[in-house]
Amino acid sequence: MAEHDITGRLQQSVREALREPPPGGLHIRGGNTRSGLLATRRGAGAATTLDTGGHSGVILYQPDELVLRARAGTSLAELDGLLADHAQQFAAEIPRPATGSTLGGAVACGWDGPARPYGMSLRDTVLGCSMVNGRGDLVSFGGQVMKNVAGYDLARMQVGALGTLGVLLDVSLRLAPRPEYSATRVLELPAADLPGWWQMAGLLRPLLRGTCYMEGRLYLRLSGRRAAVEKVLPTIGGEDGAFDWESLGNLRLPFFCAERLACVYLPPHTDFHADAGGALVEWEGARVWVRDGDHGALQRQARELGGFVRVLRGPAVEPGVNTGDWQRRIREAFDPAGLFNRATYETHFRCPERPPCR
Amino acid sequence: MSDRESWQAGHGAGIVAALRDAIGADRILTAREQVAPFECDALPVYCERPLAVVLARDEEDVVATARLCHAKGVPLVTRGAGTGLSAGARPYGRGILLVTAAMSRILSVSPASMTARAQPGVLNEQLSTAAAAHGLYYAPDPSSQIACSIGGNVAENAGGVHCLKYGVTVHNVLALRLVTIDGEVLEIGGDCLAQPGYDLLALAHGSEGCLGIITEVTVKLIPLPEQTRTLMADFSSVRAASDAVSAIVRAGVIPAALEMMDALAISATEEFCHAGYALDAAAILIIDLDGAPEEVAAELGLVQEVLGSSGATRVQLARDGEQRQRWWKGRKSAFPAIGRLSPDYYCIDGTVPRHRIGDVLEAIQAFSQRYDLRVANVFHAGDGNLHPIIMFNGREGDALDRVEQLAADILEYCIAVGGTITGEHGVGIEKFNQMAVQFSDAEIGQFLAIKQALDPKGLLNPDKLIPSLAHCQEYRALREGQVEGTNG
Repeated sequence: MAEHDITGRLQQSVREALREPPPGGLHIRGGNTRSGLLATRRGAGAATTLDTGGHSGVILYQPDELVLRARAGTSLAELDGLLADHAQQFAAEIPRPATGSTLGGAVACGWDGPARPYGMSLRDTVLGCSMVNGRGDLVSFGGQVMKNVAGYDLARMQVGALGTLGVLLDVSLRLAPRPEYSATRVLELPAADLPGWWQMAGLLRPLLRGTCYMEGRLYLRLSGRRAAVEKVLPTIGGEDGAFDWESLGNLRLPFFCAERLACVYLPPHTDFHADAGGALVEWEGARVWVRDGDHGALQRQARELGGFVRVLRGPAVEPGVNTGDWQRRIREAFDPAGLFNRATYETHFRCPERPPCR
Repeated sequence: MSDRESWQAGHGAGIVAALRDAIGADRILTAREQVAPFECDALPVYCERPLAVVLARDEEDVVATARLCHAKGVPLVTRGAGTGLSAGARPYGRGILLVTAAMSRILSVSPASMTARAQPGVLNEQLSTAAAAHGLYYAPDPSSQIACSIGGNVAENAGGVHCLKYGVTVHNVLALRLVTIDGEVLEIGGDCLAQPGYDLLALAHGSEGCLGIITEVTVKLIPLPEQTRTLMADFSSVRAASDAVSAIVRAGVIPAALEMMDALAISATEEFCHAGYALDAAAILIIDLDGAPEEVAAELGLVQEVLGSSGATRVQLARDGEQRQRWWKGRKSAFPAIGRLSPDYYCIDGTVPRHRIGDVLEAIQAFSQRYDLRVANVFHAGDGNLHPIIMFNGREGDALDRVEQLAADILEYCIAVGGTITGEHGVGIEKFNQMAVQFSDAEIGQFLAIKQALDPKGLLNPDKLIPSLAHCQEYRALREGQVEGTNG
């Protein structure tokens, strides 16, 4: 595995940018495999790119501790291989849209895979991180231990912050033993039957690790000790089947190839009907992917139901952040000069005084 | 002059009258005998008398109190049930103490979405009791769960016995209502499994009342396990028991609970409640395995094998619920049991990597001899979360000084082996000094920037959790002197 520690160079780049601010700020780029994941409006002035992909390698891996600390530019695929050698995996299911996807990009994006409702989210598994903040300081928060309440939890805050709070250097994550056995069950059913199935899913909870409804078929993934999974499978109905859960998590199923693509987050078991285009339902109805839909209408519908929309491709929507000006104040506390990922911040965090974007 | 200084110079006058007007005279306590019970939390070595105690009934009372304190520049400390162990709820001298204990209603339990909504004063255990009718429960279970409240659990990011598998408070809370110091109500998080914007839920957890006041909590409930089996293993050395903890995890098992007690804790507890522990063991492990019966059976086999090969002198499987309960009752009453052995006791809290538990326990033994103080250990071994309990007599002149020095040595040793000064009790006042050891000036500076951004006047729980840079430098210099003194 490539081992490159370019902490000094990254810190120096931030300090130089503080002395002589580039007109568009700094644009942080890791493996550059996720830039298509979130529609971002163009910012004013060209940003100078700060490449972190070269900052890579494992700093600490202790299988007995179920802890991995690795640099942000480390490839997730390489980490998978290392963990598999010890019958372990990340405690959260982390999407990797391409082979070059990095750990830092995953944390910055904060997306979760199909297993999210049944275990930990990526955010839940973060134990600590190091970063260069907007003052050019090298800072570490959290650590490598399971429980830690010293100081504010600024490590977990980096998850989903899209690199707007600093340059992530390394992350410590909680790991889990790889399940002994996994199996998929497939059922053909009309969408109208889904709410009943989500209620039933509660009974499968200790072993359920994913649900997906697409084109009239409901796929259920169960994982755990082999004896337990094999006992439950025949009680579900339907039949044994295969489903590419990895491609679902990595957004690489043919379904996701659409000109416009939005993701609707909803409270569990919401009765949600996507009118236009196709829909793919995950997380027992709590995440619905809609292709070629009307994003404005989706956002209105989601809001009425207590949810919100993230746009991957196509017209952007308001970020739906309703926590007053705390978002802005936090950004300024980390990055007073507004150096990092300016356009991303404007699109996904800044709100709500700004006029609607469409 | 800063806001707090101008308040101290008398500019905050009239706050009590204004609070009486806004909230009602019967909810504002100022008489010495009424205020006395609120002078400390469950760490009574730190006491302070507030100017007034506000007994909030609802969110409106909280908003009114925050607005008045903000307008008049008066420090505001929030207290839930007062069970905290780091003096996080100790009042600020002549400031306002806001008590949320009377906001104690469970607002809803939703079996369909497996959530419950509660006011901050609802006791931890009440959530599980209310959810039990639906076959659900709330996972984090601090030892004080019959007395501690959910608002305080969030403020401290409380842990407990079953956190190894199910996570601590931050993993089990979906949404909060939080009142800012200027009286704005923020809705943080929500029913969805993701949220737009920065993760304010993470920021609020463990913020110890320094950023806002929690007025409502939505928790995640999980199905009661179909089956739970409990093992107890005896060991002839603390080191062997510690190594067994790592071996269990290495075998690919995450027990629902994995607790350890040393000989002193065993004998105190056995005398107190006859739990059935082996008095001749140097350490015992108590292990819960839960889930589907086939899952539990498979893991029982694995764990029993690991315990056998790790040198356990005896491994017992609880034969029924009664024996299980008895073993756990012993574990949960260990603190009061140890409390009976000496006039005073002081429980500290650090987390270390699991494979260093043995080293740390041996170091604690050596430190305790240096200060001539007895230390018992009963803790969450699966998480590496230690709770050394120092026994002392507060009436002996220098006893408290020695206790504080011993505690500092233990916590700083936890940092040295790659751990942290607090796993679940919080920093409060108690570990204020050690923050200077765990964090650099740049890191403390980042924490202070967050505090300054969200509470610019510094009124919420002042002088807790994050020390000033000057305080850090002073403490580091002091410790350097002490260490040189010890070495010389």
